[in-house]
Amino acid sequence: MSFSGMIVDLLSGLAVSVEIFFFTLLIALPLGFPIALGRMSRHPLVSGVFRLYISVVRGTPLMLQIIFVYFAPYIFFKMPLSRYPRLLATVLAFGFNYAAYFAEIYRGGMLSIDVGQREAALSLGLDRFQTFFRIILPQTVKRVIPAVGNEVITLVKDTSLAFTIAVTEMFTIAKQLSSAHTSMTPLIAAGVFYYVFNYLVAFAMERLERRFAYYN
Amino acid sequence: MKKLLIALAAAAALAGCGDKDDGTRKFVVGFDADFPPYGYKDGSEYKGFDLDLARAVCAKKGWTFVANPINWDAKDMELNSGAIDCIWNGFTMQGRENAYTFSAPYVDNSQVVLVKVDSPVVRLTDLAGRTVGVQIDTPVQKALSAGGDRAALGATFKGLVVEPNYNQLVNELVMDAVEAVALDVGVARRKMADLPGKFRILDEIIMKETYGIGFKKGNTALCAEVEAALREVVADGTMAALAETYGIEKDALILK
Repeated sequence: MSFSGMIVDLLSGLAVSVEIFFFTLLIALPLGFPIALGRMSRHPLVSGVFRLYISVVRGTPLMLQIIFVYFAPYIFFKMPLSRYPRLLATVLAFGFNYAAYFAEIYRGGMLSIDVGQREAALSLGLDRFQTFFRIILPQTVKRVIPAVGNEVITLVKDTSLAFTIAVTEMFTIAKQLSSAHTSMTPLIAAGVFYYVFNYLVAFAMERLERRFAYYN
Repeated sequence: MKKLLIALAAAAALAGCGDKDDGTRKFVVGFDADFPPYGYKDGSEYKGFDLDLARAVCAKKGWTFVANPINWDAKDMELNSGAIDCIWNGFTMQGRENAYTFSAPYVDNSQVVLVKVDSPVVRLTDLAGRTVGVQIDTPVQKALSAGGDRAALGATFKGLVVEPNYNQLVNELVMDAVEAVALDVGVARRKMADLPGKFRILDEIIMKETYGIGFKKGNTALCAEVEAALREVVADGTMAALAETYGIEKDALILK
C-alpha cells in the first residue's frame, strides 16, 4: 500500500463525509427552528406532537433511524429501493435527527431570555412578532452558538454511521484499507483527518461567536 | 422557511443525481469489503476472486457491473428490498438454504482454526478452556453456538467472541485478545501471507462447506441467468486463472 494512494482513497471518503455533514446542517439547522417553536406552542396538541417527535428521535439510536429511513419504503409499501439513493436516505435521517437536538438547543436559548425584556418590548408598543424577531431571536442566536458547535462537532464523527446502509464514507474506507492490507495505518490516518476537520469546524464556530459578541 | 425550502430543494437535487441510466442493465453485487481475497478494496476499485468472477459474468451478459460494499449485518434487507441484486462474497450455503435462492456451489470451503505460531494449541480438543473469535453472522458462529452442528465443540471453549469483521478478528488474535479464531480457509491463508511467520492453521477443520451466489428467495430467473454465464466463465478457464491469482486451491473449484 503506497502512502499517497491511501491518502487519496481516504480523501475520496472524506468527500462523502463532508457531503453528509454539509447537507445535514442545511436541513437540520433551519428545521430545528420550527420544531422548537412547535414544542413551545401554547396549544397542547401542537406542543404534544413536537414533544413526541423530539422524544422519539432522541430516545432511539441514530443507527436505527438511518436503517428505518432507508428501508421504510420497502417495508411499508414494498417499493424496490434500486432507485432510492443511499446518500439521500442518510442525509434525511441525519437531518431529522439533528433537527430535534438543535430544536432543544434553540428552545433553551429562547427560554434563557429574561421575561422582563418581552414585557418591556410589549409595553413600548412592539407587537408579538416584532418582540420575537427583533428582541428575543437575535439574543438567542448569540447564546446558542457554543451548544450548536458541540452538536456540529459530534455530527462530523457521526458521519461514520452512514455505512449502516452501505454509504462508504471515510471511516468505512479506512476499515476496508485496514482489512485489505492488514495494517492499522489507515485507521490512524483517518483519525488525523477527523481531528483536522473538527479543528476547522471549532475554529469557524469561534469566529462566529466573536462576530456575534457585539456588546462586549 | 426560505432556507428550509432551499434545503429540501438541495435534498431533491441530491436524489436526482443518484441514477444515471445509460440503457444497459446494472448488476449490483453486494459484498463485505472486509473479506480478502474474495472482495476487498484495492486502490480506487474493489476486486477479489468473487468480484472478478462477477465482473466476468457481467462481461458475458453485457451488463454494467456495480460492486456495492454493504454492512454485512444488513445484507438480508439489502437483498430483499432490491438495493442489491445478489450476495457474491464467499457466501456459505450451509445453514442458509431456506433463506436464499442459491446458484450451484462453485467453491469448496472449510472453516479452519487459526492460531499464533507459538500457540500450544495443536488439535481442536486443545481449544477447551480458551477464548475463540468468530465473525458475526457466519455459519461457523452458528455451528459453534448452542443448537449448532458443532455446539459440543463450542461448549468446551471458555468463550466465543463475536467480532464485527474479519480484520478485527485477526487483529485480536495478533494482540492476544483471543487465543484462536475460526474462519474461512481462504481468508486464513490470505492473512498468513500478509503477516508471514505469525500464524498457523490447525490440521483438523471445524467443518466443510460450499460457496454459492445468494439471490433473493424466489428470484430463480436471475439466478439461472447468472449461473449459466458463470458456467461459461468456468469453461473458458477464467475461473481457474482467477483462483491462481488469488491463491485459491485448484481442487476447491467444484463448478463444472
